[in-house]
Amino acid sequence: MLAITRMGSVAIGILVGLVLAVILLKAANQNHKMKTEYDERQKIIRGKAYQIAWYVMVIYEVLMMVLHIGEISLPVSEYVLHFGGVLVSAIVLAVYCIWKDVYWGLNSNRRRYSIIFLATGLLNAIPVYFSAKEGTLFANGETGPQLVNLMVLIMLVVLGITLIAKDAADRNAGREG
Amino acid sequence: MKNLKLKSARAAKDLSQEDLAKICGVSRQTISAIEKGDYNPTINLCIAICKALDKTLDELFWEE
Repeated sequence: MLAITRMGSVAIGILVGLVLAVILLKAANQNHKMKTEYDERQKIIRGKAYQIAWYVMVIYEVLMMVLHIGEISLPVSEYVLHFGGVLVSAIVLAVYCIWKDVYWGLNSNRRRYSIIFLATGLLNAIPVYFSAKEGTLFANGETGPQLVNLMVLIMLVVLGITLIAKDAADRNAGREG
Repeated sequence: MKNLKLKSARAAKDLSQEDLAKICGVSRQTISAIEKGDYNPTINLCIAICKALDKTLDELFWEE
């Protein structure tokens, strides 16, 4: 019988989470099309956003490489460090898009997206809460696998704050500005 | 440079930015950016806007 190690289950968890997130977010489109539609201005700005996010990820990975060569060890597992790079670049991409008014596609249903955001936040908050309660989030100078959930939670909070701040800024400037 | 001709043509048709955006198949923010002069639309979008407002390209996009 195939025995799944603890880290193996973490890897499966991350993969399942990513696949679920893509399916759910795409299903949230108004016309239920898998592809989110953007207009010409949105496509140009999103291209710039992807460019910036790509540079951020390259810089992050070079920094991690330097740390590795310098034999400087951080109290987190290597997969968490790489996941951090993915999340940081994803945050940069999303924040840039939100601030430039190109985050929502033409067929995006904001209400459905918000519900998915909240559900994802809750799903990630539960293991973090129990891990923190049991004291296994950070123990003996090591981090538990729930750190990944905490990182996703932080990303969702950053996106939520940015969306609220952008909405407030738009309201102050006047919707038909 | 602000495109006041577009803004006034839209207002004359009693259309909001949202309405014009829907007709042209773009986001409201894109119409806002064109009116503010922050974005230069492609010729295809210019034509779509002209058709929606019953105007010619010269009337809306030619700078004098």
